[in-house]
Amino acid sequence: MKMRYLVTAMLATSALSAGALAEEDYKIVDEPLELSIQMNHKRYPVYKEDWPVEIEARKLTNIHLKDVTVGANLRTDSENTGKTEALNLMLASGKIPDIVGSSRIKDFVNQFGPEGAFLPLNDLIDEHAPNLKKFFEEKPEVASALKAADGNMYYIPYLPDGKYGRAYWIRTDWLEKLELDMPETVDEYEAVLRAFKTQDPNGNGEADEVPFFARQWPEMLRLVTLWDGRSSGSDTYHDFYVDNGEIQHPYAGEGYREGIKNIARWYADGLIDAEIFTRGSSSREFLLSENLGGSTHDWFASTSGYNRLSEDIDGFEFKAFAPPASISGKRIEEHRRIPIKPDGWAIGGTNKHPVETIKYFDFWFTEKGRRMANFGAEGVQYDMVDGKAIFKDSVLNSDEPVNNQLYQVGAQLQGRGYFQDYNYEIQWSNEFALEGIALYDEGDYLIDQFLGVAFTADEQKVYDKYWGSIRDYMLERQQTWILGTGDVEAEWDDYLAQLDQKGLSEVLEVMNSAYKRQYGG
Amino acid sequence: MSSGQDEKPESGVTEYDSKKSFKDKLIWLGDHFRNEWQLYVMLAPTIIWFLVFLYKPMYGLQIAFKDYSIFRGVAASPWVGWEHFHTLFSNDQFIRAFWNTIKISALNLLFGFPAPILLALMFNEILHVTYKRVAQTIVYLPHFISTVIIAGIVTTAFSPTAGVVNTIMGWFGLDSIYFLTRPEWFRPIFVGTGIWQEAGFGSIVFLAAIAGVNPSLYESAVVDGASRWQMMWKITLPCILPTIIIMLIIRIGNIMEVSFEMIILLYQPATYITADVVNTWVYRQGLESGQYDIAAAAGLFNAVVAFVLVMVANTLSRRYVRTSLW
Repeated sequence: MKMRYLVTAMLATSALSAGALAEEDYKIVDEPLELSIQMNHKRYPVYKEDWPVEIEARKLTNIHLKDVTVGANLRTDSENTGKTEALNLMLASGKIPDIVGSSRIKDFVNQFGPEGAFLPLNDLIDEHAPNLKKFFEEKPEVASALKAADGNMYYIPYLPDGKYGRAYWIRTDWLEKLELDMPETVDEYEAVLRAFKTQDPNGNGEADEVPFFARQWPEMLRLVTLWDGRSSGSDTYHDFYVDNGEIQHPYAGEGYREGIKNIARWYADGLIDAEIFTRGSSSREFLLSENLGGSTHDWFASTSGYNRLSEDIDGFEFKAFAPPASISGKRIEEHRRIPIKPDGWAIGGTNKHPVETIKYFDFWFTEKGRRMANFGAEGVQYDMVDGKAIFKDSVLNSDEPVNNQLYQVGAQLQGRGYFQDYNYEIQWSNEFALEGIALYDEGDYLIDQFLGVAFTADEQKVYDKYWGSIRDYMLERQQTWILGTGDVEAEWDDYLAQLDQKGLSEVLEVMNSAYKRQYGG
Repeated sequence: MSSGQDEKPESGVTEYDSKKSFKDKLIWLGDHFRNEWQLYVMLAPTIIWFLVFLYKPMYGLQIAFKDYSIFRGVAASPWVGWEHFHTLFSNDQFIRAFWNTIKISALNLLFGFPAPILLALMFNEILHVTYKRVAQTIVYLPHFISTVIIAGIVTTAFSPTAGVVNTIMGWFGLDSIYFLTRPEWFRPIFVGTGIWQEAGFGSIVFLAAIAGVNPSLYESAVVDGASRWQMMWKITLPCILPTIIIMLIIRIGNIMEVSFEMIILLYQPATYITADVVNTWVYRQGLESGQYDIAAAAGLFNAVVAFVLVMVANTLSRRYVRTSLW
């Protein structure tokens, strides 16, 4: 048996590398095989068998997925609690489908996989999934990040492509109007923001400009990097980070102290939106369209779109600029697209066809499967031009954003394990985003991300016991310092003592032991 | 009070004679069911509702004493005794949240409870029918607006730059305040919002009680030359006092249940010190890592506190006002 799989595997790989063979055989089984699936994501609450991409995949592989999703709901809160709830419901019901796909699945499978709820995938991948195997061999850091505490891999993730997420943005037309240069250092940045506040760049005679704003208030904390502090190690706010192979928490560092002191000063001087804590997610839309907002730290794709959306403001130009140099002269962009998301799919512990299932997972890592997962159906959403998938004009020029159109046909499903292709996004990014990305590419400002750890049951207990309280305490102090009701300089020693008393060193200890186990630090 | 009794199945068995023989008892019971079965049928939905939604879930309360894993299930999870309660009470943030709950609830009771009664009395004094109906409809309205929207209105109204509150303060030369980040302002805003939202709707039950007051009492009072003020004090209020007491006892039973959705929407880490209540604390802890066992322990503790409070309130009320839930 094993021998035959190996041969097929080798054949498949060689066929791939050759690439010239026009008609590849993706059939996994001769007779159609039905597998049950739970798929729950905020954009598509249940799996749909009639998604065009799925119809195509069924034809190619002969694997038929049947939707059995329980607990689906459309709640789209930022923490995605609705999805975790659906997973919990599924598990509590006692019936685990053959395949489980969801957002925020990582911690879930890493906790319940070792208890037997999900199958470990390592051997299955080794023996039956040549494309997955090759992928993980090429990206060992991704393979490490996936591991549960027992060293096994329990899910195949959605892997975003492209590096750039957020950037610094500024009203370049205001700079021109006030005859200022693009800020290159933290001091120049401060001077520019001060000028925005005092020199009335929107010309309405009132000092109503909001120099720096952010849709999510913790985004303001990224500014501490300008004083050599850190605010988070990943795209999740308040996360741990890796400092010389050791896990640390950014909110206990000297740079953070200095950064918060200065952020508080900026806040008191009106350089930062006075309402940053309560204005919420519509602040970017409101402040830009009302000609009030000056600078922010936000996503490339969506923020660049305001150049078109605010066309009626005379001269409006909102461009990305390189991260200003910190007090020690370092230029870093702390945020980047994380290479591996906690979303994806796993094989249920009671699945009777694990081999066929892993082969099915593998299909989405073939060239053809990846293209389908990214671009939709050939001839409908995209055409092949010179060996590349190019979106049809009807897709690019539609009133609906391209990604929304793709969700509706079963592509870019993040409850599926697949490798995103950044080309999909470039085709519909506007010129301002592409220009900004080129700028960030040139300067190489990104830093390595903390990809998370998987705890053993004992480590989990320690973490659960202390971490919630510590985090609450950190955020409480942080806000009072920024709001000026507390003084970071005066309270710092007491703050560190409190963190220690609340168990920060215990938490760091389990974080580090888990980190060394996982990444072999 | 009759309202408390329809939940008790034995309320129909009133002529039971304990001296009868066992056979007689059976015959009596058979007759009783034959004659009164309609009442039992009507009672059934309530009983079933209680069994399914309140008594059966009590089985799950045991996870407060277990190291609970959803995968292993309630029965198979190992016992850990009082560990979760230990964790709760050694956490100073939980203790703070507990006292915050009590404080917010006490304020709610102090200011929020009399508000609908006052409103009902005031509506009762309005003679112009159309005006009365329009006024009532307007004060009921906020009850039907979703919490999320109410929170949005509050956030906007108290905004330091564009909010109506700070604008008015500006007219009087006062500095603007960023209310929603100030711990000392959280409770007044929260309690005030609650009154604005619920006082109108809450007044319905008191209006119904007022409508039930015998009109001949007022007629004879008018004959005796009583003023409207005297009629309110001497007739309306004493007549609706039982309703007020019952509502108060129910309210005390809910003292640990502050509307936590509203708090989540309005609070900030900067205001945790006054705004964080047990339910929001549990929500944050639970969300972090799905600690259902700790959440169950906190819920059980809440229920015990509420139970004790209701018992005390009921006993006091029975002794001093002669009105009680049971």
